[in-house]
Amino acid sequence: MVWKDKLKKMSQKQILLYALIGICLAASVLFVHYNHPFYDRPIAKVIKIELTDTTKVTDMHENEDRLFTQRIIAQLKNGDQKGRLIHLTNQYSSSKAYDQQYRVGDELFVSIDANRNENSHLTGTIQGVKRDKYVLMAAWVFILTLLLIGKKQGLLSIISLAVNSILLSYALDVYLHTSGISLLIICGISIILFTTISLLLVNGFNEKTYAAIVATLLGTFMSLLITYLVMQFTSEQGLRYEEMQFVTRPYKVVFMAGVFIGSLGAVMDVAITMSSSIFGLYEKNNNISIKALKASGMEIGKDIMGTMTNILFFAYISGSIPMLILYLKNASPLMFTLSMNLSLELARALAGGIGIVMTIPIGLYTTIFFIKRKRARA
Amino acid sequence: MNTLFWLGTILFILMVLVGGKKGARSFLAIFFNFGVLILTILIMLIPKADPIILTLIASTLISCISLFYINGVSTKTITAFISSIATVVILLFFIVIVTENAMIQGFGEEEAEGISAFSLYIGIDFVKIGASVIIMSTIGAITDTAIAISSPMREIFHHHPSISRKDLFAFGLRMGRDLLGTSTNTLFFAFFGSYLALLIWFKDLSYSIDQIVNSKIFSAEMIAIFFAGIGVASTIPITSWVTAYFLVKKGRK
Repeated sequence: MVWKDKLKKMSQKQILLYALIGICLAASVLFVHYNHPFYDRPIAKVIKIELTDTTKVTDMHENEDRLFTQRIIAQLKNGDQKGRLIHLTNQYSSSKAYDQQYRVGDELFVSIDANRNENSHLTGTIQGVKRDKYVLMAAWVFILTLLLIGKKQGLLSIISLAVNSILLSYALDVYLHTSGISLLIICGISIILFTTISLLLVNGFNEKTYAAIVATLLGTFMSLLITYLVMQFTSEQGLRYEEMQFVTRPYKVVFMAGVFIGSLGAVMDVAITMSSSIFGLYEKNNNISIKALKASGMEIGKDIMGTMTNILFFAYISGSIPMLILYLKNASPLMFTLSMNLSLELARALAGGIGIVMTIPIGLYTTIFFIKRKRARA
Repeated sequence: MNTLFWLGTILFILMVLVGGKKGARSFLAIFFNFGVLILTILIMLIPKADPIILTLIASTLISCISLFYINGVSTKTITAFISSIATVVILLFFIVIVTENAMIQGFGEEEAEGISAFSLYIGIDFVKIGASVIIMSTIGAITDTAIAISSPMREIFHHHPSISRKDLFAFGLRMGRDLLGTSTNTLFFAFFGSYLALLIWFKDLSYSIDQIVNSKIFSAEMIAIFFAGIGVASTIPITSWVTAYFLVKKGRK
């Protein structure tokens, strides 16, 4: 009965949406489980595992670990030799920092050794793990959680994330394929687009959003300026770029661009919090004095400042934990380890923090400017 | 002079100018949190210490610092604290399962060069470390969401003490939904920013889509982003429920 009532209450649009999501979910799950023919690389599914050897090892820093050797029989899932069995060996340690323990049912990318003898079984080496289904699973749990809890706002944040990712990917393509355009210019344009799209999507077309967009852009560019000046002024002493990973391009520019895209979300958050709460006060009482608005605005700013800087701090620093542990376990001195691995992350977090704090007064005055304009018109 | 020192000084000055005493406390909180993080890492070096339990203890301390030290001890911070810890525990359970199955722990092939000088057999379970990384990168956002919901809920309860638990819960959910978009955005851009170099690397070396999706680093990063979103979203009903329960219980006495 309850279920029927609920169904009646749902509009046709909603039913259509749920059906669409259901179909997408089913189709994508089916696809990643049976997409082996689409891969060029041979994929094999582990069907039998035998642990052949266990040895205790101690490295030069007295760290104790155990090494295991697995003999694996797997079945090829694609290519000319689909269905045939392949024999693989795998070695892993109990810490699994750079190796894997495989289990029955795991799907692996393999390379097949050129076979001399037709009758003997295939042999090969393991190249990697097929992880696509796990990424997809996490993505669906994410999407469903956001929809279930966030309803319309959840849907909008998913859309905003998707649009921003596509935009970022496109912006990087433009950067990589056109020589001569600086990454910072491309990032500048992207930041304007990211801000406009995300804030309009999440908050709609209204004056609160416009004030937040202006404040975000001002805040971001001001903090860019300050960070740039500090870096110039101190000639970047103490920043250890040598540990920056994955560098194929001028690393300083990549780092700076990362700093600004990274803090953008937090700055937007501060800007929209400031503008919607100040506008909220104004809407409750149209005659509220500018002085009162300023005082309340600063109070709100004080409340969010600490937690916002914390968000960025943890989001940046946590990624370094595995590397810090590896360094320290290899008897690197603590201060050396920290400065090698955390200097860039800390600079990022501090620059982001500067952006966040500056956006509080900037957001306050921008919103007041918009309110004054509204009053003048009325 | 050192760049970090000056950036830190500027941040401190700005925080004091804008936030006064509370600003100074917020700045100190960053330092305390940094201390907790480093201490946790140092304890993780002991092979017998379980990284998951250490992460739970660290999350508790970090939530204490972010909530009680900056905002003081009150009903709203206490319920926010309980909710944050509850969210972390629930999230941790799922994250451990996923990191184990997806094999996203430790270092990827792309990092091989950087770690080649090190001994990798160090006797520490990197699967658990991987789960810990995901939790730690979200803990800031979880406490932020929790306090942002419990604080207006307390205000509403203060103005309407006769409000029912159900209505209070519904109010919390509504507040939370309004925050959801911006909080998830904050995390996404932070992740985007720190992995910009990786994205450029993938594109420069013309990785194919299937190589990117199945690579350890990328899938680890995507799973971390998704779990961060899941964490922030699930904080909303948990905090609304916990706060509604405690406020109404306390109010009725």
